[in-house]
Amino acid sequence: MKDFHETLYDAVGQSYRIDKLYFEHKTEHQHLMIFHNAFLGRVMTLDGVVQTTERDEFIYHEMLAHVPLLAHGEAKRVLIIGGGDGGMLREVLKHQSVGHATLVEIDADVITMAKEYLPNHSAGAFDDPRAEIVIADGMDFVRDTAQRFDVIISDSTDPIGPGEVLFSDDFYAASRRLLNPGGVMVTQNGVPFFQIDEVINTQQRMGAQFADQTFYSAAVPTYYGGIMTFAWGSDNPALRTLDNATLQACYDAADLDTRYYTPEIHRAAFALPKYLSDALARAQQ
Amino acid sequence: MNPRAIRYGIDHPTLAYYRALVAEHGSPLLVISRQRLIAQYQTLQQYLPHVAFYYAIKAFPNADVIRILAEQGCHFDVASEGEIALLKAHRISGRHTIHTHPIKKDTDIRAALRGGSTTFVVDNLDELKKLIPYRQRVGVLLRVSFRSDSAAVDLSRKFGCNPADVPAIVREAQALDIHIRGLSFHVGSQSLDSATHVAAIHECARLIADCNRDSDNPMNVLDIGGGFPLDYADAQLDLDAYFAPIQTALTALPDDLHVIAEPGRFLVAPAVTGIATITGKARRGDYQWYYLDDWIYGSYSGQLFDHVHYPLQITRDASNLEAAILSGPTCDSIDIIAEDVLLPTLEEGDLVIGHMMGAYTAATATRFNSLSGAKILL
Repeated sequence: MKDFHETLYDAVGQSYRIDKLYFEHKTEHQHLMIFHNAFLGRVMTLDGVVQTTERDEFIYHEMLAHVPLLAHGEAKRVLIIGGGDGGMLREVLKHQSVGHATLVEIDADVITMAKEYLPNHSAGAFDDPRAEIVIADGMDFVRDTAQRFDVIISDSTDPIGPGEVLFSDDFYAASRRLLNPGGVMVTQNGVPFFQIDEVINTQQRMGAQFADQTFYSAAVPTYYGGIMTFAWGSDNPALRTLDNATLQACYDAADLDTRYYTPEIHRAAFALPKYLSDALARAQQ
Repeated sequence: MNPRAIRYGIDHPTLAYYRALVAEHGSPLLVISRQRLIAQYQTLQQYLPHVAFYYAIKAFPNADVIRILAEQGCHFDVASEGEIALLKAHRISGRHTIHTHPIKKDTDIRAALRGGSTTFVVDNLDELKKLIPYRQRVGVLLRVSFRSDSAAVDLSRKFGCNPADVPAIVREAQALDIHIRGLSFHVGSQSLDSATHVAAIHECARLIADCNRDSDNPMNVLDIGGGFPLDYADAQLDLDAYFAPIQTALTALPDDLHVIAEPGRFLVAPAVTGIATITGKARRGDYQWYYLDDWIYGSYSGQLFDHVHYPLQITRDASNLEAAILSGPTCDSIDIIAEDVLLPTLEEGDLVIGHMMGAYTAATATRFNSLSGAKILL
């Protein structure tokens, strides 16, 4: 195979040259590849869909980790569902305020493989004493655990696939139960230009669980189609309207080294394009 | 059902080759010929230039066949999650597939999307509406029904909408924001007359042109199905005469209409040879009975399900012919492979060769009597 052709959409699609294949795991149920691309560095694909690339993963991971953590301001315990590549754990543990991060990955092989073939993603985060790695189904974990968290991050795959349950009413309800007062839950929520229904479904399902539910966004180049949305749920509406000065103070106090995130980006990310806010408003009527 | 062709005698190198296969792998066998498979693909390319082929995996769902055809640039027609899994295990991108089963469960659609198969066939509004949640990811072919009077297997009774309903369904799809890429049809299998195919091509082209006239999202695919005939009866079938009118009809289509086809039988049937062994014989009434180790519930299941008599080859010459019956090994009275055929005297251990046994043979074999099926070799 010389090229990888993404298979998300019938009418359009992106293709990447495979410059060196590092790892391939194919079964009847899934096809996972890690290859090198001259521009993007290492690229991981699952079932014909780009999951992460070395060149642009920082945008996704910084925005899904730092926005809730800095908005919360004093998150000590963080839960990551999915994220077996370790990139989210790396960003979460950059916060010295975080004393404990639990990462729940359904497939131990993903972590083993990512440590070997995508080492820059975790950058040692798996060895951090504050990290606890749990191999379990994310839905089972949130339903059964007695632990409580200040921030929950769902770093899932596409809802058509193994991540389906992580977009369900049950998952949002069980996650809500695990949040300490003032806690925040954020989730990966797809590219709305192509998958508007995913945003609408989340508004309905997650919105039923939280006093305040909205979306923020960032453009991740290899998630083809413009902006990606991240769902936001909290019982404290004030957390998403913090002013720049407050965010700047939090950012400075955290002393983070970021490449995409800034307090200005944080605040602006909650502004949604009109086609999206219109679709969400229509769905609520 | 075609008349039974019997070929008498076999050349020595071929017999030695078959015997060596049986000595090594046992009997019964189904042997795939890579060369013959490629030849069939190239033949079809010559008869239908500029047509993209999607091999109907259901005809013979086999990894080697898929790999060889993929190497030739063939695409794939899938109808189930299992077939998608077979492709996935061989690294064939869902980009190169269409999902052709007109009736689907939501889980089928999701599995297909997960496998990267994004073009779906539907034939009614209820099925179309099942695609609403995925409308931004999928393309649709609308299956239209054209009955063929001469087809051995009628594929237009069960599936396909009435041509007159096409414009309304296309309009409804536009209202639902689902893109209909084009039309598909299946005139049935083994028709020896291409008139129905030609009429269907003309009618679909007219429907597409009509619908496109007031559409801002035009259709540009015509799927002419499969059903191209094969010479199971050793009857000197004239493929030139069969394909010429289809070629003419296709040539008249607009250049920007992409024509695709879903051949299964035509590609794979001639590429597979069955080898069975006579395991016993008996004289019963007026007939000499021979019992084989392959059977109607096995590789010869197509005689029941697919209405085909495979050409059989006997390794002995046509001398002292007498009325005979070739039977499968089970005690079931339906387990007869060839009734009332003229055969020379055969002996236990003789091989019986079944030709053109690629399509709907192993695919429909059962496990009746807990007998394992014929081993498949490349």
